[in-house]
Amino acid sequence: MIRNYLKIAVRSLLKHKLYSSINVFGLALGMACSLLIGLWVRDELSYDRFWPDAERICYVRVNFTNPNDPSADIGTNFVTPGPLQEAIAKDIPEVAATLKLDYGPEYLIKVGDKTAKEQGHFATDDFFGVFNLPVIAGNPAAALKQPNQIVITRKVAEKFFPNGEALGQKLQLNNDKYYVVGAVVEDVPHNSTLQFGWLVNWNVQAQDWMKTWGNSSFRTYVRLKPNTTLAQAEAAMSSIYPRHAGKNFETGRPTLQSITDLHLYSEYKNGKSVGGRIEYVRVFGLVALFILLIACVNFMNLATARSATRAKEVGVRKVVGALRSSLAGQFLSESMLTSLLAITLSLGLVWLALPSFNAVSGTTLTLDLTDPILWLIVLGLAIITGVLSGSYPAFFLSSLQPIKILKGRFQVGAGPALFRRVLVVFQFSLSVFLIVGMLAVGKQMDYLRSKHLGLDRENVLYWPIEGFSDTKQYEAFQREVVRLPSVGSATTAGSLPIDVRGSSGDLRWPGKDPRQDHQVFAMFVGSDFARTMNIKMVDGRDFQTSSPADSSNYVINEATARMMNMNNPVGKEVQFWMGKGRIVGVMKDFHMQSLHETIKPLILCFNYLNTSYLLVKTRPGQTQQAIADLEKLSKAYNPNYPFNFHFLDEEYEKLYRAEQQVDTLINYFGVLAILISCLGLFGLAAFTAEQRNKEIGVRKVLGASVGSIVTLLSKDFLKLVLIALVLAAPLAWWTLTKWLDSFAYKTDLSWWIFGMAGGLALLIAFLTVSYQSIKAALTNPVTSLRSE
Amino acid sequence: MIQTVNLQKLFSTEEVETTALNGINMEVRDGEFVAIMGPSGCGKSTLLNILGLLDNPSEGEYNFYGTAVARMTERQRAQLRKGSIGFVFQSFNLIDELTVYENVELPLLYLKTPADERKKRVEETLERMSIMHRRNHFPQQLSGGQQQRTAIARAVVAKPKLILADEPTGNLDSKNGEEVMKLLGELNDEGTTIIMVTHSPYDAGFAHRIVNLFDGKVVTENFHV
Ligand SMILES: Nc1ncnc2c1ncn2[C@@H]1O[C@H](COP(=O)(O)OP(=O)(O)OP(=O)(O)O)[C@@H](O)[C@H]1O
Ligand SMILES: [Mg+2]
Repeated sequence: MIRNYLKIAVRSLLKHKLYSSINVFGLALGMACSLLIGLWVRDELSYDRFWPDAERICYVRVNFTNPNDPSADIGTNFVTPGPLQEAIAKDIPEVAATLKLDYGPEYLIKVGDKTAKEQGHFATDDFFGVFNLPVIAGNPAAALKQPNQIVITRKVAEKFFPNGEALGQKLQLNNDKYYVVGAVVEDVPHNSTLQFGWLVNWNVQAQDWMKTWGNSSFRTYVRLKPNTTLAQAEAAMSSIYPRHAGKNFETGRPTLQSITDLHLYSEYKNGKSVGGRIEYVRVFGLVALFILLIACVNFMNLATARSATRAKEVGVRKVVGALRSSLAGQFLSESMLTSLLAITLSLGLVWLALPSFNAVSGTTLTLDLTDPILWLIVLGLAIITGVLSGSYPAFFLSSLQPIKILKGRFQVGAGPALFRRVLVVFQFSLSVFLIVGMLAVGKQMDYLRSKHLGLDRENVLYWPIEGFSDTKQYEAFQREVVRLPSVGSATTAGSLPIDVRGSSGDLRWPGKDPRQDHQVFAMFVGSDFARTMNIKMVDGRDFQTSSPADSSNYVINEATARMMNMNNPVGKEVQFWMGKGRIVGVMKDFHMQSLHETIKPLILCFNYLNTSYLLVKTRPGQTQQAIADLEKLSKAYNPNYPFNFHFLDEEYEKLYRAEQQVDTLINYFGVLAILISCLGLFGLAAFTAEQRNKEIGVRKVLGASVGSIVTLLSKDFLKLVLIALVLAAPLAWWTLTKWLDSFAYKTDLSWWIFGMAGGLALLIAFLTVSYQSIKAALTNPVTSLRSE
Repeated sequence: MIQTVNLQKLFSTEEVETTALNGINMEVRDGEFVAIMGPSGCGKSTLLNILGLLDNPSEGEYNFYGTAVARMTERQRAQLRKGSIGFVFQSFNLIDELTVYENVELPLLYLKTPADERKKRVEETLERMSIMHRRNHFPQQLSGGQQQRTAIARAVVAKPKLILADEPTGNLDSKNGEEVMKLLGELNDEGTTIIMVTHSPYDAGFAHRIVNLFDGKVVTENFHV
């Protein structure tokens, strides 16, 4: 029986080549999109799940409540103070192992004359107690405890010691100390939030400020004992801050997140995880589903359109003994065949598209045909699509009564025509939704790119300060940089001024309520910071090398002044990391983080030694010259280090990488969705024209103009697109408003976005339909009438 | 044997109600060849469809070889129909995507007849209808007569007790029509019961008995000897 079904299916595919190719190709496109997104979603969901006992490994954050206003939102620090890890290790029996990491610097590794930059961590002793990586050589747990040893990954080992044994070899880190390779471990998979090429013991770089509760800069991880829940461990940890951290921080409460959630649920509001990247996973999951649905709709539409022809076959089969179930089976196997053809084609499409998809989305997805899960997904997709798209003919056509059909005057009634309209409306609603999304996301991205931040990010170069043997050498270097004619001014900073990271509760001022924790972002800078970044000073001045007292003075932004409730802060005395000092300047508020964040209080401390970047503002039009000059200078001072500069505005773009990816992907998928919709519309229009062939002929004989016939045939479709527009607009508005709400600074959804989306959808639909309409209208009526 | 008692059929559309059948009492014995005649629109096809279990009467009883079928569901009727009734239509109603052979094979497929048995039966029947040489052609490649012979082959291949034919010669020229009628006559001679609707008195001459319908009623029954 199946063979008979398939025979018919193949023949009817071949007989109706236009419809078949629209079906197969449309479905294949839709499936390819879904497969791509599916691969991506699967990759996103797989993050950090490969670690042994991953669900018991937790990332530690700290929640702070405002003691004066307990109803105020709880703030959450994603980095922790240094002593927290030791306190947890000592006090909390629920915890099997603890780990503290720094932010993960990129250091130059040197072996002989081979050099390369590798990212790595200074880590506390029990790294491998928390993250258990397969060992390749040596004993990593023991090696990490030794101050003169380094643990490296397979990739680093192969890079520096290509012919064999890395163990016991020496390498130089950051142009400074030498370490003996104590162990080699397996590379961390790409789907790990924790990435590194080397590990060195924490104590090697430990400094006194890292031992205070006021500086949150480190990442703390714990591994829970078996059968301990996160809640139990959190409850046990709630006494740590009151007991150890001192009066200023007693409201701190460590909060745990399983490492398997770290990648996707990293956003916290009011002390709780409120999502994060998972939103994008969901959005694209939906988009995948949408596109698949759109493709299935094509299939169903063409099937209903052809139901008049198929109906005769149904009638005949029923008369010679077919039961409804066997007809349903036949139609389902036909759609399954189409769907299998389509999925095969789509695998090819995915294979072709994967490199560009990876480039756009910043992933390293692969199409591994030996992966059984992939085949499960592929077959699942084929079956779902087959059933979904075959369901209409299978359940509607198979229910037709044979006498009604065989009378020879069978008319597909209003039912299928209505169903078809509903499907087209549905399809175009989704398309309009995606177009609105494309336009709105694009508009917000433009806004982010062009927003004036309150500082200059154009013509600003920066590079990490590294490799200098002492301060004197560095200062000499900086003096020469500023003297270059191509350079306007230069400064140094502890973090990039567009992405200030570290915050602290250490700021004291007269009149501060000692019970309340006031977090302030803090950054070490060199002289001329505001001038180089073109930040406006509301009052006072930049730090100056010529003013020795500045080493314990401070510069703040307006937000800090507001926080301290000071009207004229300049000259007032405060206490912070550099001890008691005066405020010498107030900067106008500038955006020091991504525009997801509001502007927060910021305090600058003047100290070269703690800065990590040199920022150079080039003179207008002389950027190329400046790069050449700086490279020469850098080579002279620092021959071991490649001159590795970046542009600040590129770094700014990177802050929105996720959004940028969404922007690009939604553009691709939006265009595809519309393409697939139009493919369906094209087929449908072809069918309608064919079906109304005789009517058109009669009308023409009676004197109808080509224009009036094109209008007649196109009008119906355009009406549907209009309805789709009306339905999709509110939904799109709601969704995008929600997305925009994640930005503290955003554009609005102007009406023109909806107008343009609607206009585009209409135009595209019209062009699609009019080809068929015009073709039909131009046919000589004699041909269509004779065939009757 | 089949028998109807006071069979009625009402069609209601939005505007009008049509009484297509209005109290039909008739009986057809096994092995009979009955022709139904009457003016256009008098309800011949409607009656045939009900007799063939394609449709239910609005009222009345229908006894189909000992089973009361008047109020059966479409599903039950389909089960009963399978293998026991063969249909021949004026417009042939062959499936365009299937070859002659495959069209004829279809009823046996739905009856789940084993493959070798199926092959034997289909070939026998094609031979018998003299269309064996066309077995791999598609319906559009055949003449009307050949198409109707294929349709008859399909109707008899499952060896049904009853064959219903609605104007089987309506679309054929007289030579092809004659051939079709001869085939039906032969089948009847071998014991198959046949009920045939026709407008042609000549064709009706092949039957044992003619039932004349007028406005949904049986007006006369003529017996041949
Ligand atoms: N599905 C239907 N809906 C409404 N009326 C119907 C339907 N089928 C048949 N009729 C009506 O029932 C009556 C009988 O129709 P039927 O097809 O049985 O006539 P007939 O005797 O076969 O005519 P002909 O010789 O032209 O084929 C006609 O008046 C017809 O219009
Ligand atoms: Mg009739």
